[in-house]
Order: sequence, then C-alpha cells, then structure tokens
Amino acid sequence: MLSFTLRKLAALVGTMLGIAALTFLITNVAPGDPARLVAGPNATEDMVETIRVQNGLDKPVTEQFVIYMSDLVRGDLGTSIVTTRPVLDELLRYAPATIELVLVAMALGILVGVPMGMLSAVYRNSWFDHATRIFSISGVALPAFWFGILLQLLFAVQMGWLPVSGRLPLVALPPEPITHLLLVDSLLRGQFDTFWTALKHIILPAVVLSFPCLASILRVNRAEMIEVLSSDHVVAARAHGLSSRRIVALYALKNAMLPTLAMIGLRFGWMLGSTVLVETVFDWPGIGLYAVSSALASDFKPVIGVTLLIGFFFIVANTIVDLAYAWIDPRLRNA
Amino acid sequence: MSDLLEIRNYTLDIDTFDGPVHVLKDIDLTVRRGETLGIVGESGSGKTVLVRSVLGLAPKRARVVNGSIRFDGTDLSSLNDKGWKKIRGVRISMIFQDPMTYLNPLFSIGRQIGDVIAAHNRATGVSMSAAERRARSEELLDQVGIPDPARVCDQFPHQLSGGMRQRVLIAMALSGKPDLLIADEPTTALDVTVQAQVLDLINELVAKLNLTVIMISHDVGAIATVAKRCAVMFRGEIVEEGATEDILRAPQHDYTKRLLAAVPEIDAPLAARDEREPTRPLLEVKGLSKTYATKSSGGVRAVDDVDFAVSQGEVLGIVGESGSGKSTIARLVLRLVEPTAGAVTFDGSDITALNGEALRQMRRHMQLVFQNPHSALNGRHTIGDAIAEPFRIQSKLSRREIEANVEKLLDTVQLPKAFRYRYPHELSGGQKQRVCIARAVALKPKLLLLDEPTSALDVSVQAQILEFLRDLRAELDLTYLFISHDLAVVREICDRVLVMKRGKIVEQGPTAQIFEMPAQDYTQQLLASARKTAPSSLLADAGLAAAQ
Repeated sequence: MLSFTLRKLAALVGTMLGIAALTFLITNVAPGDPARLVAGPNATEDMVETIRVQNGLDKPVTEQFVIYMSDLVRGDLGTSIVTTRPVLDELLRYAPATIELVLVAMALGILVGVPMGMLSAVYRNSWFDHATRIFSISGVALPAFWFGILLQLLFAVQMGWLPVSGRLPLVALPPEPITHLLLVDSLLRGQFDTFWTALKHIILPAVVLSFPCLASILRVNRAEMIEVLSSDHVVAARAHGLSSRRIVALYALKNAMLPTLAMIGLRFGWMLGSTVLVETVFDWPGIGLYAVSSALASDFKPVIGVTLLIGFFFIVANTIVDLAYAWIDPRLRNA
Repeated sequence: MSDLLEIRNYTLDIDTFDGPVHVLKDIDLTVRRGETLGIVGESGSGKTVLVRSVLGLAPKRARVVNGSIRFDGTDLSSLNDKGWKKIRGVRISMIFQDPMTYLNPLFSIGRQIGDVIAAHNRATGVSMSAAERRARSEELLDQVGIPDPARVCDQFPHQLSGGMRQRVLIAMALSGKPDLLIADEPTTALDVTVQAQVLDLINELVAKLNLTVIMISHDVGAIATVAKRCAVMFRGEIVEEGATEDILRAPQHDYTKRLLAAVPEIDAPLAARDEREPTRPLLEVKGLSKTYATKSSGGVRAVDDVDFAVSQGEVLGIVGESGSGKSTIARLVLRLVEPTAGAVTFDGSDITALNGEALRQMRRHMQLVFQNPHSALNGRHTIGDAIAEPFRIQSKLSRREIEANVEKLLDTVQLPKAFRYRYPHELSGGQKQRVCIARAVALKPKLLLLDEPTSALDVSVQAQILEFLRDLRAELDLTYLFISHDLAVVREICDRVLVMKRGKIVEQGPTAQIFEMPAQDYTQQLLASARKTAPSSLLADAGLAAAQ
C-alpha cells in the first residue's frame, strides 16, 4: 500500500509538469501574439515591442520554456495587469472560496447520490425508483446558469429565505482565518451566527453545482447496485443467513462503490470547470469568477494561473480516488 | 430415520416476456435425516431452482403455483424474513459451484466467515466476542483441511486457489452446524484432482458431523461418490428416483438411459482407430516458451520449452489442469500471443517470423474453436452473419456466393438453413458450438485448434459434438489439436495425447499407451482422480462391497 501511494504521488508530479508544459504550449505556440494581447488593441508597434522584450517573448521558444518552468517551480505565475499584483497571491486569496464551494457541493452529491442510488436499486421499479430516475435525468439535462437563476428567483426573490448571491454580506465580520474556509473557521472560532449566514449563502450555489454530479453518481450507483445485488456472492451471503440490511449496505455497496468512485473523480474535474459559470451567476468570489473577469479584461496570466490550479486540484482529487480504490479493493494493492 | 425435508406437489413458474415457463412440475421429494441424496440433471432441468427454493432464494420472477416445502415440521413457504434468519445458514446451508464468484472479493476470508458466525449468533441468541468468532473461524477452516488457518483468515479470495476457495465456502456453510447441507455443483468448476479432494472432504464431513446432504450435479460420477440415493431431473420433473447403484446399473427411464450412455467412459474399450500411415508433420513445435513478466523476478513460465509435432490427419490431445499452459500453446501456435522463444513450423514453413499480410494468409489455414459458445458469438449478429464473417474478411466472394457458402456450411454442421436468420440466444449450447465450428471450417483450414470445445456443454450434447467432430474430420480431411481437462473425452477422440503440468510436457504418446501404461507419476495421479468419479468404477466398488 505504501509503495502504491508513493508511485501515485510520483505520477502526480509528472502529470503536473505535463499540464504546465501544455499551458505553455497553448499560450506560445497557438496563433495570436501574446505581447499584442497584453498591450491591448490601441497599442502602437513600439509599445508592443517593449512589452515583448519586457516579458522575454523575443527569446527563442526553448529558452522561454526553461524560464517559464523555472518561474513556475519557484511559484512565480507572473503579475496581473489589471490589479498589478502577483497572480499567485490572488489565486491564494480566491481559491479557498472555490474549494469550500466544491467540497460542499461534492459532499452533497455523494451523501445524497449514493444512498438514493442504493435505495433505488433495492426498490427497483417502485414509485421511489421512478421518481429518482426522473430527478436524475433532469439533473444531467438542466443547464447550470438557467437552473441557478431559477433557484435565485424562487428561494431568494419570491420566498426571501436565502440570499441571492455572495459569500458573506459586507456588514458581517468574517472569522479570523485558520483554514480560510468560512464554514470551518466560523465554527472553530465559535462564531455560530457567521456560520449560519455563510451556510445560507452557500446553499444555492452548492445545490446548482452539485445537481448534475449528484445525478450521475446516483445513476452509476443504482446501475452498479442492481448488478452486484444479482451477483453470486450476494446469493451466497443470503444463503448463509446474513441480514438483507447488512448485505445491501455493506457487502453490496462496497462492491458498487468502485465504479461510483471513478465517476466521483471525473465529476470533480467537471465541477471545478463549472465554477466559472456558477460563481458568475451567484457572484461567488472564487477562482471561477476571477478567471472570467480576467479573461474579459484580456489579462491572460491569471487565466493561465487558474488553469494550472484547476489542473492541480483535478489531479489531486483523482490521486485520492486512486488511493481510495486500492483501499477498497485488495486486488489492486499489489497491481 | 425421520423425514427432515418434505417437498410435496411443488410446482413453480417463472414469468418471462413470452409468458410463464413451467420450471418445476409437481415435484415430490423426501429427504430423511442422515441421508445423502443426489439430484442429477442437465442444464435447464430446474435442479438449481429447486434447491434454491428450499432456502427461499428462488429467482425474483418465480411464482409458486402449487405445493409445499416442509422442513423439520415447519412450512417454509409461510416464513417471513425473521423466520428465515433462524433457518438460512443455521439449519439449512448451501455450498456453490464457482467458489470465486460466490465469495465477495473485497472482504478478507476471516471477515466473511466471522460475519456469518455473527449473523447466526444473533439468530440463535448466543453472544460471542470478536476474538471468539475469530477462533471459531480458524477452527472451521482447520476442519475443512486448510493448512495454516490463521494466515488464510487474513487473506482475500483472489489469493487462494480454486480448491481452497471451495473449502472456505464449505467452512462457511458448516459454521452454523446445519442439519441439512445443500451442495450445488460443488466440483464443476474445479480441476480433476481437486474435485476428488473436495468430494472426499464432503464424504468425510458427512460421516463426522452426521450431516444430511442434498447434492446436485450434472456429473453422474460426482453424485455417485457422495449420494446413496439419487433422483434424475429432466425438464422440471423428477423422472426417476432410487438407490444410486440401481439407477447406474439398471436405469428405467429413457432419459436416464440416454444420459448414462452419453457419459464418456475412461475405461471403456478403445474404439478401433483406422490405422493411418505416418504422414509428414503438419505442425511442428520446437523449444516453444512463453514467459509472462510479473513483479517477482523471473516471471511466470506459462509454456516452458515445449516440443511436439502433429501429423497430417491426426488428432493430438493436450490434457492438463488449469494453469498448465494448454490454452497458451494454442494461442502461441496461432501467433495470437508472441512466443518468448522457440519455433513453430506449419506446413513446411516457419511461421514465427511472419507478419502483416503473410501472417493473415497463414491464419486461414488454422482456426480456433473456443470453450464457451455462448460468449464466442456476437449476440447482435445473426447466425448467417457470424458464419459469413470469415468469407468477408478473407475472400473476395460476392454477396450471393457467400450466402450459398453459408447454407452449405449450415448443412455440413447439420443445422437447418433457416438458422441463418436466427440470433445466438435462440439457439441451444450445442447448436451454438456447431455454428462456431462451421465458422472455423468456413475457409477450409488444414488445422483446427479446439480449446475445451465441450466443457461448457451438457454431457448428452457433448457426445453429439464429439461424434460430429469425428465425422467432420473424415469429411474435410482435418487435423485437430484438441485441448481438454477431461481425460475421458480426450481418450475418446484423440490418436495421441500430450500431458502437461505447469507449462511443461510431462509425457506424450499414443492414447492407448498413456491411458493403459502411464509412465509418469503425474499422469497416474490424474488418471486415478478421474477414475474416482467414473460411474463404472463406482459400480465395480459397489458390486464388490455387495459381494463381500
């Protein structure tokens, strides 16, 4: 198990370097002159040339790549043109909000999706199963921005139960940061009012972000459970006198969790990408919103930074999924 | 002896798309305490549904139309979940066919046995600590002859051999000290030497624990080694019932007679072979090896320095237990797997270095028939498409010519022409295997490699296919490489036999020599295990016992 973990971690580093190389390739080899892009539409030839030299864009591509990679290894992601602050600082400021949103949405997807899929398989073709299937198909089908606006209209504007957007109201005092996750920090500092406010703010965006993910986890888990429940070893477990509850919730679920985990890993990456849409709709101050505003301002260093960061999270999430796989399935431990 | 299990007028339907299928018809069966009852029948005869009904595990769409099952005075059909908890695994338990798929791959052996013990304790109101359960698990494993039970408890199913897994399943079945043990084809998925061990173990446990046993199998020999009394099932009915010895000696029902006649006999007189002049070798294999890389140093030697030759028109049998490298040899000869070392000469030319078009051309002269006809055919292609495929790939015939050829081939394999439009699921196992053979001989190959061609088939179908293979060989002047684990089948069809163990050839020679005067210990051991479950030898034993 230890060597498996170490090998996975080594692969993580390798993949990260690959992503970095790929983003470099996209910005430098793809058509379009980055210096001109930075300089803006009204710049003169001289100004473009100055920016080219300033940014080292006049050097050969190989040398640029070495500089880019060594900057990257030292954590230097360049400077944002709009805010004139280092991109890394800005990413560190915005990332916690996104991480918090994605974690809450993922928890929602797993904690609701897995049990619903399981029950749906056990009570196959019952009214519950049919309702679940309609629910899950709409989860996959509804576009996030439309669904988000719909929920805002219903729960924020009409009912007034939840805030329309944002992470915390301006008047609220955020807790002293420990983990930079508002929900966790406010609990740790004992500021329960702040926790409650933050929770109300995160509900709608998290629901919108998790809905498609929840739906696909549910569908995969249902299909797998149906398959496992008709397998030989479940028949054997019943014949040996184990209770149905134990068979379903322990023996069968553990087997069904393997493909479900793969889906969770995939959906995690998808979710990070979707934050661009959801954070815009809900004005959530995370890296998705940061990427959108930077892109609109033709500020391309932050966009690359966000791409790298999302790539990093995605790989970390999938490494965790791989480790969970080996933890669940003894056959993979020595593979 | 008192009656332990009473099945009366039991009739059961299974609802399908095309209406109900009568799976069990009016079954009457009584099992007395301490008795060993065998139920013999071919696939689809309803024997598994019958014994699963006893445990309330009939398929979901099954419907009991009539009749009752009483166990020790309790009517099982009226039980609810709570009632079943006191029966399943505690008073009636079951062992299964394929010990790999019947164990949960994700839980350790100790955990799985421990959980069963815990469930029984809850049902019977006994309390036991985790350490006590562990001790009991080890004791059970020891009882079924597993060496080093403490280590096995911490292992997972995939780390055990087939025989060990079956022993683990038997240990689980015995954990509740059941009155009745149901064995559902307990030896079918095992090698012949392991089969003999498992049957011995069951017999030993019956004597030691005074168990009542119902064992079902398609293998008359396996039934006869365990069961004193026997019932024969055919299409959902019990057609004959009585002492096993009487049924073997003098079967009454037509079906039983046919079934027994179809069982290949390991000691039957060898049929006279048409003595052939030794002709030039069609296939020559020299120093062939295949090593699969593994994490441990050296790798696994699946095939280890093998030499043999097959003459034109000959049938060479390769026998050996699972993992002995039989199938790998077939794949190496076909170049489906690349050899690590050695040379394969086919029809005078070395084929080890061929590739591209030359390899493709060579392949039309040798064809492979797979073990399981159910998975060898694409379910979405008609039979006509399946047989036409080699023509489409390897010839430039027009559509009409291909159709004519397909009809001719269906005729050769003795299937009606109308089968062209059918889909695989509409055919029986034997018919499907004929289709596979038709597809293999479509391009008039010189060599046919048959990899366990009858193992997935019922014994009566097996007899038909063997007969058919003999005729086909004469008709098309074919050479066969016949791979099988079943010694009796090999003896019936092969001219020469090659015995394999762990990638190496142990012994090779003419069939009569191998079976009558085996020179090697391993061959003798294989033959002894196979004879153990041969109906004739059982009868001979019984006859001797009766005479004394």
